[in-house]
Amino acid sequence: MAILVIAEHDNLNLKASTLNTVAAARAIGGEVDVLVAGLDCQDVARAAAAVEGVARVRVADAAIYAHGLAENLAALAVSLAAGYSHILAPATTFGKNFLPRVAALLDVAQISDVVAVEAADTFVHPIYAGNVMATVQSSDPVKVISVRTTAFDAPSGTGAAILEPVAAGGDSGVSEFVSEALIKLDRPELANARVIVSGGRALGSAEQFHAVLDPLADRLGAAIGATRAAVDAGYAPNDYQVGQTGKVVAPELYLALGISGAIQHVAGMKDSKVIVAINKDEDAPIFQVADYGIVGDLFTIVPELMAELGQA
Amino acid sequence: MIYHAPLKDIRFALNELADLAAVCSLPGYEDCSVDLVDAILEEAAKFAEGVLAPTNVAGDKGSRWDASGVTAPPEFKAAWKEYVDAGWVGLRAPAEYGGQGLPALVALAAEEMWCSSNLAFSLAPMLTLGAIETLHHHASEELRALYLPRMASGEWTGTMDLTEPQAGSDLAQVRCKATPDAEGRYRISGQKIFITWGDHDMAANIVHLVLARLPDAPPGVKGISLFLVPKFLVDADGSLGERNDVRCVSLEHKLGIHGSPTAVLSYGDGGGAIGYLVGEAHKGLAYMFTMMNHARLGVGVEGMAVSERAYQKAVEYARERVQCRGIGLDSPDSVPIIRHPDVRRMLLTMRAQIEAQRALACYAAAALDRAARHPVESERARNQSLLNFLIPIVKGWNTEQATEITSLAMQIHGGSGYIEDAGVAQYFRDSRITSIYEGTTGIQALDLIGRKIASEHGRTARTLLTEVVVTVEKLHAIGLASLANNLGLAAAHAGRCVDFILANYGDDPQLPAAGAVPFLHLMGLVLGGWQMGRAALVASQRLSDGDDDVAFLRTKLMIARFYGEHLLPRTHGLAAAITDGAASVMALDEAQF
Amino acid sequence: MKVLVAVKRVVDYNVQVRVKSDGSDVDIANVKMSMNPFDEIAVEEAVRLKEAGKVAEIVAVSLGVKQCEETLRTALAMGADRAVHVETDAELQPLAVAKLLAAVARREQPGLLLLGKQAIDDDANQTGQMVSALLGWGLGSAASRVELSDSVTVTREVDGGAQTVKLTLPAVVTADLRLNEPRFVKLPNIMAAKKKPLEKLTVAELGVDIAPRLKTLKLAEPSPRKAGIKVATAAELVAKLKNEAKVL
Repeated sequence: MAILVIAEHDNLNLKASTLNTVAAARAIGGEVDVLVAGLDCQDVARAAAAVEGVARVRVADAAIYAHGLAENLAALAVSLAAGYSHILAPATTFGKNFLPRVAALLDVAQISDVVAVEAADTFVHPIYAGNVMATVQSSDPVKVISVRTTAFDAPSGTGAAILEPVAAGGDSGVSEFVSEALIKLDRPELANARVIVSGGRALGSAEQFHAVLDPLADRLGAAIGATRAAVDAGYAPNDYQVGQTGKVVAPELYLALGISGAIQHVAGMKDSKVIVAINKDEDAPIFQVADYGIVGDLFTIVPELMAELGQA
Repeated sequence: MIYHAPLKDIRFALNELADLAAVCSLPGYEDCSVDLVDAILEEAAKFAEGVLAPTNVAGDKGSRWDASGVTAPPEFKAAWKEYVDAGWVGLRAPAEYGGQGLPALVALAAEEMWCSSNLAFSLAPMLTLGAIETLHHHASEELRALYLPRMASGEWTGTMDLTEPQAGSDLAQVRCKATPDAEGRYRISGQKIFITWGDHDMAANIVHLVLARLPDAPPGVKGISLFLVPKFLVDADGSLGERNDVRCVSLEHKLGIHGSPTAVLSYGDGGGAIGYLVGEAHKGLAYMFTMMNHARLGVGVEGMAVSERAYQKAVEYARERVQCRGIGLDSPDSVPIIRHPDVRRMLLTMRAQIEAQRALACYAAAALDRAARHPVESERARNQSLLNFLIPIVKGWNTEQATEITSLAMQIHGGSGYIEDAGVAQYFRDSRITSIYEGTTGIQALDLIGRKIASEHGRTARTLLTEVVVTVEKLHAIGLASLANNLGLAAAHAGRCVDFILANYGDDPQLPAAGAVPFLHLMGLVLGGWQMGRAALVASQRLSDGDDDVAFLRTKLMIARFYGEHLLPRTHGLAAAITDGAASVMALDEAQF
Repeated sequence: MKVLVAVKRVVDYNVQVRVKSDGSDVDIANVKMSMNPFDEIAVEEAVRLKEAGKVAEIVAVSLGVKQCEETLRTALAMGADRAVHVETDAELQPLAVAKLLAAVARREQPGLLLLGKQAIDDDANQTGQMVSALLGWGLGSAASRVELSDSVTVTREVDGGAQTVKLTLPAVVTADLRLNEPRFVKLPNIMAAKKKPLEKLTVAELGVDIAPRLKTLKLAEPSPRKAGIKVATAAELVAKLKNEAKVL
């Protein structure tokens, strides 16, 4: 049986999430087809055809697919479902939006955010905000799966899949695209930021605090935090304060710059998924809670870090 | 600082120990049910955790005073608006004035959460309710109709103006004057101090209840009348008129509860503040005492509530702070300090007392509800006596122990606890007032041995101690020997001390007075132990019935056992001091101090 | 217009769940349960629409055990007018939930079905999408803004920004975090909620097959945090964050 991967793209470029999803499909085993549905999306189709392990790229090129509307995309996927044992999409906002509609229309379950493939019918996915990993087995004829992209490495090689046009379906008539605003949002709020860049008294002054942290935060789409000491010293406003007397945060990535790691501060950020510490003092307690640490001067390391991130 | 309302233990105390269902079945509480109370407490918990707790630290910076009046912490002002909008002021205010008229027992559970999350803030609604209760019972229908709906909604707040510089615990010394004017009102002049939330900008008006003397008043306590003095005069339609002649002339600089402005109020600097007599002349002090029981119960809750918050803080720190290898362990690794025996002892000393105090306060609140609403006259009287007996104990013991408990919380934090940043110091500072105001522990203890024991020949005390012995027997019967033995010994000590008090009160009252506070502590320990014994019986029964909440129930049993083994033995020392040590207290010549 | 709001009873977000020692299930006996926070946002949105005069009636619906009544009472206290409880002790997977909600929607004929974008227990993020498909209604998932007139315009949270779609009514909208901040319930409304109607339905009455499609073989807690390491350069750090931690 073959597997259908539904590609995420913006009609110009294939999104990397599609590659991770193909990788997950290959982990299941079987022939992998990719569906590219969009408008004027031939470049995307060609890019998909060049992904290692893809047998066929099925291309539905029509105005009704221009914006990935869930109603039309799901209907298309369902119309193509016959012959596939699995239908996969990335567990991004793109996939989350339409894939459950596919499952419902096929009268099957969806398995969300799959991070590991145990067997063709058995998968691991996180529940309870990642505090529990569930291994589940599907009894459905078609397995509809959204893939946690960070769990599968993109295929590194190239391929040469055949391109095959697919006739477009009709418009659902119940939804229409109005607009898209992919402008960068204002800096996220501390409380629900995915990334936080936080500074301590080692920044030395309010000017340096902002000169070092602002560009890095912009680059990472991060919120800015500060220690009590940095706030007291007037480097940062009070609502930046992370710690027991400030905000308690748990982002995916917490960068602690020039922060010694006083208990009061650590109490406010210790539940972060990944903690990075940059500090001159190699005995600073912050290194005890950091996943990755660099011992050194933040004024030289942060610019290096910016340069490295610039290449990303 | 995060606060998690201990809803589970609160529910246990309400339902299992204070019989909430029975309280809900009292006349007038028909709309109340255990389910409804559950829903109310859930939302109260959300409010306390989400709105009040986050402003507690900000409030610690204090209010601002200038000649135009007092500006409350802006965070408090916002929280007050939310509190009023959500209708929480009306929880136990009478239904006929727009409140919900819920039982004192239910209100107490919510008040614990307000006090835990933000003691300084909680005093504003607490004082308002005290004023509402007093007016409800004693003011004319006209005054009630005009003021109570706006107070029950929280649009206006209330204060209790008793203390003057020379009249603290001894209110017979009150000197504020009230002079009748031509329109049947009174002109009030004089100075009041220590007026909690005496001035602020959170509400549109403030209703002061002021003790003052009429020109013809007899001296002493029988010559004090109660007056309603609004900050802004109120027109017949409830709209606000001109500013009354009462002003906040300064704020006190206190150890704690900084968020709550403690005002010096000056009446009559411009010729006399306009006031209205509440009830009859010369009966002001008696009127104050009608709400005193409730107020003192409330302060007992304050002490326990701040203890709870401090305990939560200490547990959190003890889990996180890694320091020193584990005693008796092979591993050289440092461990979280919660694994060290002495830290555990401290945490359990805190928790066991808090649970006992919560249970005892709830038990007293249920008695308050029954005393007010029970359909049978003799039951009302019995519960009134029970309540009267319990009040000084709940007030005195809960608040005295709050000093010990919040201090232990600081101790667990080590050096960082002494640093304000850690946050635990605020609980220590805030709780300290609770054993002072609304009658110091010394006043409570004298009330206990005098009015509550000697004048009724120890009747309620002995009835209660008999009930304790019944609980001891039940504990023996199910094999909880350690708790049973310790509780039995403690009850015996208490009985001997009651005998001692009764034997000496008439001829040499200084002897029992010398040991009055130790006796109050002893009674707190015994009655708290009794509640823990009752809790253990419930937990044990539920476990044998196959209740699946095993972790909670076993914890309850273990806490009760700890209480028995670590707290009840304190009664040995207290009893010895009370019965054998009274003479030495007065023996020293005053000049030798 | 009538709005139907679906609310789920879940383990309170403050509770750190533990897996039972045999790995068969999470241990949620006697832990605090609350309304799914995203559903709370959905209820709040419905109430705001009603306050704005755009909605005449709010019907809250919950599926599951007896205690879902408490969740419904909360929705009623927040401002829903009446409640429907489909009571069952059976395990309900998202597809079954979607089918039951679709059946309730067919009975109630609302102009809008509002619910949270996901529940914080199974984190599936499926139900709203599924029910929209089953009903053939338009879908606005992960909404951060809802404008209701004779159609509904929904601004959706998407990776890297926002997308706005216009849906004909009836439609399904799922609430994301930034849609609103739910109010604190007012005490008088808690009292009043007790007296609002709460209708009981059974799965059989709705004629829906709720058989689970997924079998849980094992639950486990993720392996604890690895001991931290020191890296020498910024380049090495970025590589680790990308390839090992996968947070960049």
